[in-house]
Amino acid sequence: MKTARILIIASLVLLLGALAIVPAAAQDGMSEFVFAHGGPIRPMDAHSHWYGSTHWMLKLYYDCLIWRAADGDGYVPEAAQSWEAVNDTTWRFHLREGATFHNGEPVDAAAVKWNIDRVRHPIGDIPLYQQWAFVKEVVVVDELTVDIHTNEPHAYFEYDVSYNGCELLPPAYFEEVGQEGFNRAPVGSGPYTLAEISENDRYVFEAWDDYHSGRPEVDRVIYQVIPEPSAQVAALLAGQVDMMTGVPVPDRATLEGADGISLLSESANLMHHLYARVDTESGAFPETFPDYQPATLDHNVRMAITHALDRHLLAEVHGAAQGRLARVCSYYPEGFADKYADADVVADWYNPDMAREYLAAAGYAEGEGPTLYFDTDAVSRGGSAKEVSEVAAAMLEDVGFTVDLTVRDSSAFSVEVSRAGNNRDLMHIALGCGPALLPLFYGCDWSSVNYSICNEEWDAVADAIQVTIDMDERLSLWEQWWQHYIDTAQTITLYEVTNVMALNTGEFDFTPRKDGWMTFRGLKLADM
Amino acid sequence: MRGFFISRLAQLVVTMFIVSLAVFLIVRLSGDPILVLAPDFFSQEQIEEMRRFWGFDRPLAEQYVTFITRAITGDFGTSYLAKRPAMELIIERLGYTWMLAAAAAAIGVTIAIPLGVLSALKRNSLIDLVITLLSSLGTAMPSFWLGLMLIIIFSVHLRMLPAFGALEPKAIIMPAATLGVGMAARLSRMTRSAMLEVLSQDYVRTAHSKGLKQNIVVLRHALRNALIPIVTVFGLQLGWLLGGSVVVESVFSWPGLGRLMIDSINVRDNTVVQAGLFWFALTFILINYAIDVLYILLDPRIKFE
Repeated sequence: MKTARILIIASLVLLLGALAIVPAAAQDGMSEFVFAHGGPIRPMDAHSHWYGSTHWMLKLYYDCLIWRAADGDGYVPEAAQSWEAVNDTTWRFHLREGATFHNGEPVDAAAVKWNIDRVRHPIGDIPLYQQWAFVKEVVVVDELTVDIHTNEPHAYFEYDVSYNGCELLPPAYFEEVGQEGFNRAPVGSGPYTLAEISENDRYVFEAWDDYHSGRPEVDRVIYQVIPEPSAQVAALLAGQVDMMTGVPVPDRATLEGADGISLLSESANLMHHLYARVDTESGAFPETFPDYQPATLDHNVRMAITHALDRHLLAEVHGAAQGRLARVCSYYPEGFADKYADADVVADWYNPDMAREYLAAAGYAEGEGPTLYFDTDAVSRGGSAKEVSEVAAAMLEDVGFTVDLTVRDSSAFSVEVSRAGNNRDLMHIALGCGPALLPLFYGCDWSSVNYSICNEEWDAVADAIQVTIDMDERLSLWEQWWQHYIDTAQTITLYEVTNVMALNTGEFDFTPRKDGWMTFRGLKLADM
Repeated sequence: MRGFFISRLAQLVVTMFIVSLAVFLIVRLSGDPILVLAPDFFSQEQIEEMRRFWGFDRPLAEQYVTFITRAITGDFGTSYLAKRPAMELIIERLGYTWMLAAAAAAIGVTIAIPLGVLSALKRNSLIDLVITLLSSLGTAMPSFWLGLMLIIIFSVHLRMLPAFGALEPKAIIMPAATLGVGMAARLSRMTRSAMLEVLSQDYVRTAHSKGLKQNIVVLRHALRNALIPIVTVFGLQLGWLLGGSVVVESVFSWPGLGRLMIDSINVRDNTVVQAGLFWFALTFILINYAIDVLYILLDPRIKFE
């Protein structure tokens, strides 16, 4: 009796104790916007990783020299008030007078040099520096002027200096505390300061009164990690978060019908493709499949695949996407939307009869096409990879292929197939869609784990793109480049993913950025 | 008693050594973390560079020696993702998981023991049937589903409780209830069967025949003697709570060790996975030792051996 009573009393004490220990949320009159982030969120040292969804958040906290305009049209000043090309290989940046980091350290030319020098050299495990290999030297002209010299004319200079790793960190503070210390207590120079950090859980940012371009309108922005999309939806409906991205298809109607919540959509800056095996040397393939000759080595087979796929239907199966033929998002001029994103052009590309003709040209009798081993991630970035792959497999079987589809969970797919270089015939993959680095990926110097292509003519066009500053001239080179891309059919582009977001429009006004970044520098309070 | 603790300490050391080896090997066999960490477009050279940086190009035995030598001092290495010591990340989260497990255990015990006793006393009655049905339901309900249902009811419709996080005291109620319900279901079944067995014993009949009141017979004579199997199951359930918290923490975005483990496993952040599994194992072993001590306190016939 006594023991049982003690056990129950102890249990109640434990429960009450637990209730009392958990910290209480701050209650004040500040405007507060909570964004449901699917996580995980990586470290605050912005130079040490590539992960896009963490950089969304970091952009709230750090300034770059310049950054991509929200509407996708050009660049906007941040730490640099203005900038110009001095000549083909030198860019000059004029910094803002009196600008500081959150700790008071000056954002001057020396700080800029320290940052770019840091990011263009190896830091830890993530070799971000290769993206910055175009920089030859950073020269401090005076306290507020800095020159960046490139090795050769660099067509995507502005794009690259405003990409991952562009974030400015305070040199003196960083050197004092080291990388670990900095990740625990970072310091930036962006419009928001960091009020609270709970690693990979909750990041609370507060508007900085001293920001050079004025205090942001919303007082507090919180990135709250909520891994489960269904829990994000519930939190949004409960009024406990204000925005989520990647709204699952079944929840869209519910959210749209909810008071004060609206759905927004914009390119997710993500495209889904099929990778076809075009060689037997790259990655782990030679060890894993020593005697296997992929059918996709035959160009006719690859062309049969590309014409067998109804991209519009695949996009519909995905739930939020548009069929595409080229691997650059449609809002970039390099994506040639009228040619490769046009609905009719994409519809016409689907031609099962032509696919059968290509199979016949490859030596296969009608209905007796080769077996394709097809690997896919169950979800993939942007979702629905399994369902899309199943429908794609049915389309391929319809023209005569036999398809052996294997679905794996995301991490197994990465480890066993996509990043190990074990793509046997075909695999489904989701990739970003910017133009700047793309030509490099298919060049003779680039050896991906899943393909190795060296077409000297294509390579020469890629090289020319990289050094051609004039946009019109560059676009005509891109037209040639795309012809090779389509003809090679190693990467068979399927569709561009649309990000469907849900926002508390009762309280906030947000226009999605063209580049798909969920960063809230421009967030406004709704007109009441 | 001293001998008991020394022998248990020796067992603990041996068990933890075996756990460390198993954890190390399983984590390595599950795949190359570099392949998860590297961006999609990385070249083979860049991937090799990352592998060298993290020491995965070294022989497995050498990697284990380095791991165990550091682990003894509490250094499980640096998280590949957070770029901070793995143990530091674990310690930050451990308190939340313990807090959740304690609250869930409290809910579980508070519900299970009265219901189990009542069910045994009213054997084969409507009350027994209802309690049995509820226990079966509690056992069968996936915690993921139950958690979401609670969020929909109490956060979305009633707006009484927060849907996520650990920002205010009441935030613990739903995750603890989700975990506690499963525990209560299993524990109440065990309480019922242990009580039924004890209630049929001679000494209970003797107590009744002596004219003692029903509640004194039940609580002082029967329940006390039924507690040994109940405590055993309670100990096992505590271990289950730690494992179950992995799912519940994800549903409720509770910043505990379970969620850290899920994130780390998904991206093969081996240093954190190793440190986390080590802690789970250590906690589980210590709970079992505590249960052993509790046996002795409950039943004086059991001696420290």
